[in-house]
Amino acid sequence: MAVISENVIRPVVKKPIDWWRWAGRAFLTFLLLFTVLPMAWMVLTSVKSQFAAMQYPPQWWPTEPTLNNYFKLLDPNSRVGSEFLRYFWNSFYVSLLTTILGVVVAVPAAYAFSRFRFPGRNFMFFAVLVRNMFPAVVFLMPLFLLMRWMGLINTHGSLILTYLTFGLPLSIWLLKGFYDNIPIQLEQAARIDGATRFQAFLLIVMPLSTPGIIATSIFSFIGAWNEYVYAYTFLSRDSQMTLPVGIQRFFTEFATDWPGLMAATFMMSVPVVVLFLVLQKYFVRALTEGAVKH
Amino acid sequence: MSIATGQATVMAGITRKRRGILSRIIAHRTDYLYVLPALIVMLVVIAFPIYYTIELSFFRTPPNLQMRDKIWTGFSNYSTVLNSSVFHEVTIQTIIWTLASTFFAFLLGLGAALALHREFVGRGLLRALLLIPYVISAVAASYVWKWLYHSDFGVIGALAVQLGITSEPINFLDNRQTVLASLIVVNIWKEFSFAMVMLMAGLQTVPDQLHRAAQVDGANTWDRFWHVTFPHLKGVSMVTILLLMVANFNSFIIPFVMTGGGPADASHIWITHIYQLAFGRQQWGVASAYAVILFIVMMAFGYFYVKALTRGDEDRAGG
Repeated sequence: MAVISENVIRPVVKKPIDWWRWAGRAFLTFLLLFTVLPMAWMVLTSVKSQFAAMQYPPQWWPTEPTLNNYFKLLDPNSRVGSEFLRYFWNSFYVSLLTTILGVVVAVPAAYAFSRFRFPGRNFMFFAVLVRNMFPAVVFLMPLFLLMRWMGLINTHGSLILTYLTFGLPLSIWLLKGFYDNIPIQLEQAARIDGATRFQAFLLIVMPLSTPGIIATSIFSFIGAWNEYVYAYTFLSRDSQMTLPVGIQRFFTEFATDWPGLMAATFMMSVPVVVLFLVLQKYFVRALTEGAVKH
Repeated sequence: MSIATGQATVMAGITRKRRGILSRIIAHRTDYLYVLPALIVMLVVIAFPIYYTIELSFFRTPPNLQMRDKIWTGFSNYSTVLNSSVFHEVTIQTIIWTLASTFFAFLLGLGAALALHREFVGRGLLRALLLIPYVISAVAASYVWKWLYHSDFGVIGALAVQLGITSEPINFLDNRQTVLASLIVVNIWKEFSFAMVMLMAGLQTVPDQLHRAAQVDGANTWDRFWHVTFPHLKGVSMVTILLLMVANFNSFIIPFVMTGGGPADASHIWITHIYQLAFGRQQWGVASAYAVILFIVMMAFGYFYVKALTRGDEDRAGG
């Protein structure tokens, strides 16, 4: 559009070189290299033997690429593999449960924030938001005591309960935005047809807010999958470890196996990157909702 | 709204008068029931910890955290924190870390958002690629960069030597002069695309007509950015910068996993230092006092944060 109007207004003048466009391209190229090269080096290292990785000057391109590091991680009969797969499963299971519970709790709350006017509504809403500002570490000491008191230390319950609270404020904030955009008349029509308020909510509003629910779900899943501090503090048993912590333990055990570690970090990134690429649209929406409204 | 709701409200008002408080809550305040689950979870995991942290900060608690053996010490934990030389050092590092990370992440994000605003082939793919560091785990990022910075086999050091920048590989992470800057680079790598996405969304709200009008008036690219685009981005930028600052101030994983605060505390920031005081040295009281001071600082952040967000609300209602 901009190009067309430019031509209409100044049809005779020879178009000068658009320096800004070239500067933009150069900048994007720089950013792309900055972003991608570290990840490329991770992948390249992960297909090297340990000997090949430990050379100076470094072997820029693996001369004898091998998938051995990956086979080791995926082999349930080896010690490394059985540990890795167990951590992987633990992470998956904790993240999935967190996500499901998060939706169950956040959906009604967001709906209430959007539809009802009740005393203390604003206060609660911002209290919920302010939670996001406090760092995980300062909650660690008291939560550690609380979990110990509830007997949840060394169980996944302690993680799921805490992860739930990370996701909730954002989920509620985001879902409220979705509910605000659903015309209240739709519910009213349903209620005139004899539906109760809850039925109207369940049958009319819920399906319309599916994109919002997907967005919040991705966020809680990725958040739980990547969480480190609480898992590091609450779990000490090997059988319970989630990936971010487990990966560190098994790396220290096998000291300097950098190619193995790079293969493991690659595998750890695969689920979130795939989830992100498939559901990108919703992810970006979740990120920007609240701050930017059209 | 419609007449139907008006009537319903009037009817509800009439019945409300006839019943007692409790039955009224059950019958009419079902709205609370929707919020209740969220509220309980948040209370247990937020209100309780805040209260407990404040309490702990006034006591000396044995290393095993047996609460019945704690000893009241008044404000001595606070004076311990404020008078320690490490506290001052770590505070300066926290300020550098927070401001530098936020500044560069925002700047790169703004540049990327502006450059990606024009339609071109592969734009979506490029945006997705730039966002990957933001979604992968900080632990994975930390290990990848640790390997890149490795003193003997690190590719960055080797590259610097091959390009003739240095005579031998730099020990990025084990050097007081370079460690903090090295970590800040990782942090920027991880989060600049967050600013990018926020600002891209902000750019979509800039009316196209304004740009064309400015162009007709002879405004050049820079003028159009400064007088048309930028004022429209102010709200989003405020929120983005605040979110970045809060996130950076609260960072933990990158410094903790990459250096553990070392060498000699040179890469400690408040959060990692509090963690070390609590779970490393079991100085629960001192760590709690530290955390309370942090709370107070965060309240100031929170004030501006809520203000920025509610101002956005008013703008929306007005527009």
